[in-house]
Amino acid sequence: MKWQKLGLIFDPTKHNLPHNCFAFAKSPQVIVFDNFIRIYYSAAEKDTTGKILCRVLYVDFDKNFKKIVRHSDKEVIPLGNLGEFDEHGIFPFHVYKDFKHIKAYTTGWSRRKSVSVETAIGYAESHDGGESFIKLGNGPIMTANVNEPFLVCDGFIFKEEDLYYMYYIYGIKWSKPSENEEAERVYKIAMATSNDGLNWVRDSKCIISDVIDENECQALPTVVKFGNKYHMYFCFRDMIGFRTDETKGYRIGYAYSEDLKKWIRDDENSGIGLSEFGWDSKMMCYPHIFKLEDHIYMLYNGNEFGKYGFGLAKLINY
Amino acid sequence: MFKWEKLGRVFNPLNVTGRYWLSEFAQAPSTLEFEDFIRVYFSSRSSRDINNQFVSYSSYIDLDKNDLFKIINIANKPILSLGNKGSFDEFGTYPFSPIRKGNEIWGYYAGWTRCESVPFNTAIGLGISRDNGKTFEKIGKGPILSYSLNEPFILSGPKIRNFNNKYYLFYIAGKKWLTIDGKPEMSTKIRVAISEDGVKWDKQNTNLILDKLSGDEAQASPDVFFANDKYHMFFCYWDPNSFRKTKARRIGYASSLDLINWIRDDSKAGIDVSEIGFDNEMIAYPHVFDVDGKVFMLYLGNEVGRYGFGIAELKGELI
Repeated sequence: MKWQKLGLIFDPTKHNLPHNCFAFAKSPQVIVFDNFIRIYYSAAEKDTTGKILCRVLYVDFDKNFKKIVRHSDKEVIPLGNLGEFDEHGIFPFHVYKDFKHIKAYTTGWSRRKSVSVETAIGYAESHDGGESFIKLGNGPIMTANVNEPFLVCDGFIFKEEDLYYMYYIYGIKWSKPSENEEAERVYKIAMATSNDGLNWVRDSKCIISDVIDENECQALPTVVKFGNKYHMYFCFRDMIGFRTDETKGYRIGYAYSEDLKKWIRDDENSGIGLSEFGWDSKMMCYPHIFKLEDHIYMLYNGNEFGKYGFGLAKLINY
Repeated sequence: MFKWEKLGRVFNPLNVTGRYWLSEFAQAPSTLEFEDFIRVYFSSRSSRDINNQFVSYSSYIDLDKNDLFKIINIANKPILSLGNKGSFDEFGTYPFSPIRKGNEIWGYYAGWTRCESVPFNTAIGLGISRDNGKTFEKIGKGPILSYSLNEPFILSGPKIRNFNNKYYLFYIAGKKWLTIDGKPEMSTKIRVAISEDGVKWDKQNTNLILDKLSGDEAQASPDVFFANDKYHMFFCYWDPNSFRKTKARRIGYASSLDLINWIRDDSKAGIDVSEIGFDNEMIAYPHVFDVDGKVFMLYLGNEVGRYGFGIAELKGELI
């Protein structure tokens, strides 16, 4: 596998973003339109307490990714009301084109006291061609259950033979290294299936083996089919030290499968890694793979969790 | 109108000492019949921490079947542990509702977590007892019934029943967090889910009880009892807009033939606050049960059970 990096294509700090969003363009995800590529992402605003709220915006590129043709002038989906699961942000925002319908699987954030946050997966649809999204309800479609105690999030949809597969993550523990430190979380990639995209059957198995240790955190799976196999890219990191120590931060992981269920981890063949210098030299995270005119591309975030935007890579050999 | 004769207060938690989890309050009583006694599960608050915050535990007292004012045993530890860090039940397991299943006793409870913008959130968990109801082991770290598209938060107040070989879980779901005098107040509605096995639940996604006060009416404690070919539900309700001033919660009543369609008629409830005593401001969180052909109601008094619960006996029939 070999990916050719095409560089940083969008830096949010160089644009005037709506809603007082000051930086971050996290988890870029694509809908391909006839004449342009729309990339949804989550930008960050500081609220009155100084904490961050993620809001979903988009930027439209021409089909060569050379030119920005448009940027949303407001968020595409409102945050939740008081006490709701997505009151304190939506990130990631996974868009999925199902025939003609544009659907979104959102990850809603709500702040907690003993730990920083709880998340759950919501659902919304667009009735205006992806300009805005309407939630099907005020609550989530997928949240903690008896075997997945917290932090259900990062849903990615893959449809095969009329069955929907969702790759997502759930938390397995919150750990407090010491009294003065914040609690840190550990989460793993799992899979659910559905006949309608709304009601999901889960078996709560962790489908991707660890390469670091049992506290490895795995996030944002994205799946694509080519060469008679299914390929999953995701990001992973250490539980502790990942914000400041570049050897412990997010990197890109890879696994392949022949049946969408059983996955073989194979990071050495991912074909993409940190750059020596520049915007993605310390961290790579939140990959999103899509097809465009017979080519396969990956959008991803770089250093500091995408504070300075996202870049693009093209698959040139497999 | 039904006629309930109040017999007095059964239990005052302030009379109990030496139990860290039973410092204040005795809330949400629910019963389980044994050969010689009636076990009343209830929930209480621990002593407060340096931030004046408490956690809720559930435990029980055993009442002599021949004299329900005679407490023959008090639990010496809580029946359920609190959840791990970040879990849905880290800060409380309350309320609790038991049912026998073979040699086991299954207990449904609401787990409490603390939030930033609102004081708390809850979801419903399940524990199983294999020691005759003294302790319950959770079947997993997460909830068995949690938030969904049309039930965005606060799944609480579970009451488990078995009718016609199916399990019915009556519970409340949050509809809206209101902001009253700058503070969050919840509006909750009574709902039901149905299950074959008690683990996988099919939410019916409908409000069972029509509002009486306003759309903001808060409802809780949906307690269902079968008698005379009908299902009878006693519950409590209040107005979240004025509750902090009036301190009023009241007991409502509805009946049903099929457990899904309910006709509300509070005028039949037949029980209200007393003129004096521990229940002169509030009467809430009813639980109806029978012992040797007599029908009783346990209920909370003032300040949502801070001073314990009382008992009333039905004179006549539930028809």
